[in-house]
Amino acid sequence: MIISKQKDMEEILNFLKGGKSFFLLGCSECAALCGTGDDKALNEMEEKLAKSGKKTIGKFVAKIGCQVLGTKIELKPFKEAIDEADAILVMSCGAGTQAMVEVYPDKEVYSLNDTLFLGNMTRFRQFDERCSLCGECILDKTGGICPVTLCPKGLLNGPCGGTNNGKCEVSPDLECAWVRIYERLKRIGQLDKMKEILEPKDYSKHFKPSALKAKKDEKK
Amino acid sequence: MKNFREVLESGEFTITAECGPPKGTDIKEMLEHARHLLGKIHGINVTDNQSAVMRIASLPVCRLLHEMGHDPILQMTCRDRNRLALQSDLLGAYILGIRNVLCMTGDHVSAGDHKSAKTVYDIESVQLLRVVDGLNHGKDMAGNDLKGPTKLFPGAVVTPESNPIEPQLIKFEKKIKAGARFFQTQAIYDIPKFRKFMKVARNFDVKILAGILLLKNAGMANYLNKFVPGITVPESLIEELKAAGKEEALDKGIDIAARQIRELKDDKVCDGVHIMAIGLENKVPIIMEKAGLL
Ligand code: SF4
Ligand code: SF4
Repeated sequence: MIISKQKDMEEILNFLKGGKSFFLLGCSECAALCGTGDDKALNEMEEKLAKSGKKTIGKFVAKIGCQVLGTKIELKPFKEAIDEADAILVMSCGAGTQAMVEVYPDKEVYSLNDTLFLGNMTRFRQFDERCSLCGECILDKTGGICPVTLCPKGLLNGPCGGTNNGKCEVSPDLECAWVRIYERLKRIGQLDKMKEILEPKDYSKHFKPSALKAKKDEKK
Repeated sequence: MKNFREVLESGEFTITAECGPPKGTDIKEMLEHARHLLGKIHGINVTDNQSAVMRIASLPVCRLLHEMGHDPILQMTCRDRNRLALQSDLLGAYILGIRNVLCMTGDHVSAGDHKSAKTVYDIESVQLLRVVDGLNHGKDMAGNDLKGPTKLFPGAVVTPESNPIEPQLIKFEKKIKAGARFFQTQAIYDIPKFRKFMKVARNFDVKILAGILLLKNAGMANYLNKFVPGITVPESLIEELKAAGKEEALDKGIDIAARQIRELKDDKVCDGVHIMAIGLENKVPIIMEKAGLL
């Protein structure tokens, strides 16, 4: 899932300076799980805005905020409020915000969240990054543990000299990804894989902006 | 006079030292230290924004030391440059007369003085060794032909006291496979333990220079134990430094370094030593003299 975190109110109020009334849009997927785009988050935001004299004239939690067409249809009943609002305030990820820009090209749209990373919820509301979307997955060679993401240097061929009793030199709070990979490969009988030299990554696979036209299901 | 590579390959006990370029353009002291070492050592490493602290680049300093008569070892990390910059710097180093390159990944920027910098790590140490090998064979990383190859002597680093050691040894082997011809180790203090590492290393056709880091006092030893992964100063050495007292601690550190170098040389444990004195380069000749190397 995409992990997001609400911005500081100070920063939000700063870019909302000109506006008085707003439409709040959340998302029931990742942002809801992060507590940044569910009903509760929207209600709390409404209160905070009210305290600064700003009015919420409509709010809605989209099913999948980054699904542009679906969200556009879902928002039809809110046309009036959205038209009236000075801006749409999106409480999901950066993609959700930009979906709104596509749907409402003439409207001001702001993101109230910072979008952080792609990760797992490892405990309740504890999120840990797991994938950097590198475009050429090497998990088959590393025992299913991603060094591109979990090693701060993104090393592909084993631990650096700073590895420290299983911890990472960059922070004692981090486990050394390469010690984990080593142990995992050993456990599953694939230590030979670690002896293979992995080639430099092909960053053309990570070209921005990426696009993908996935195969459509055949019509029945 | 034989250069670093020739001395090392001849089987002679090889000595290298280190030059850390300053932050700023006043290089008087740096050059003085380097001049002091002239004719005494076989190669001199020039660090590359060591500990991720911004300083003068390694390459121009290598050139100055080369002009002075040293055989510089260009330290090259992958932290600050992508593959284009690394390759063009390697070609540049070659045309400036630099013949040795130490391929490293590099400390993370979080350790340094520009913590908000973007780390690069487009490639890393093992892959950089392969790049050097490619350039030596007239090919760049993309497979294009070079108009004139390099003839660089590629080296790498290894941490014999890394814990756990197995993944470090796997990487050591990969570096050899990728073209490393010599290794300079992280500082070692526990000679029996180092001998064990050398038993493994001797299975490969590579030269090993043991890292000797001058201990200035017991405080420094404790600091290394606490904060520098992969370095362990045994309690007995710390006791020795303490017993020497504040005034004499540095002399004791020099004695310890000299004693260890002598042991490594006399017992032919490794092929040479890399002496790191961090700011006290003027002590390097004293260490060497006491070790019977001068
Ligand atoms: S290797 Fe690439 S695609 Fe696979 S998990 Fe890591 S970053 Fe993601
Ligand atoms: S200690 Fe391990 S995880 Fe940390 S940078 Fe080095 S190899 Fe990567």
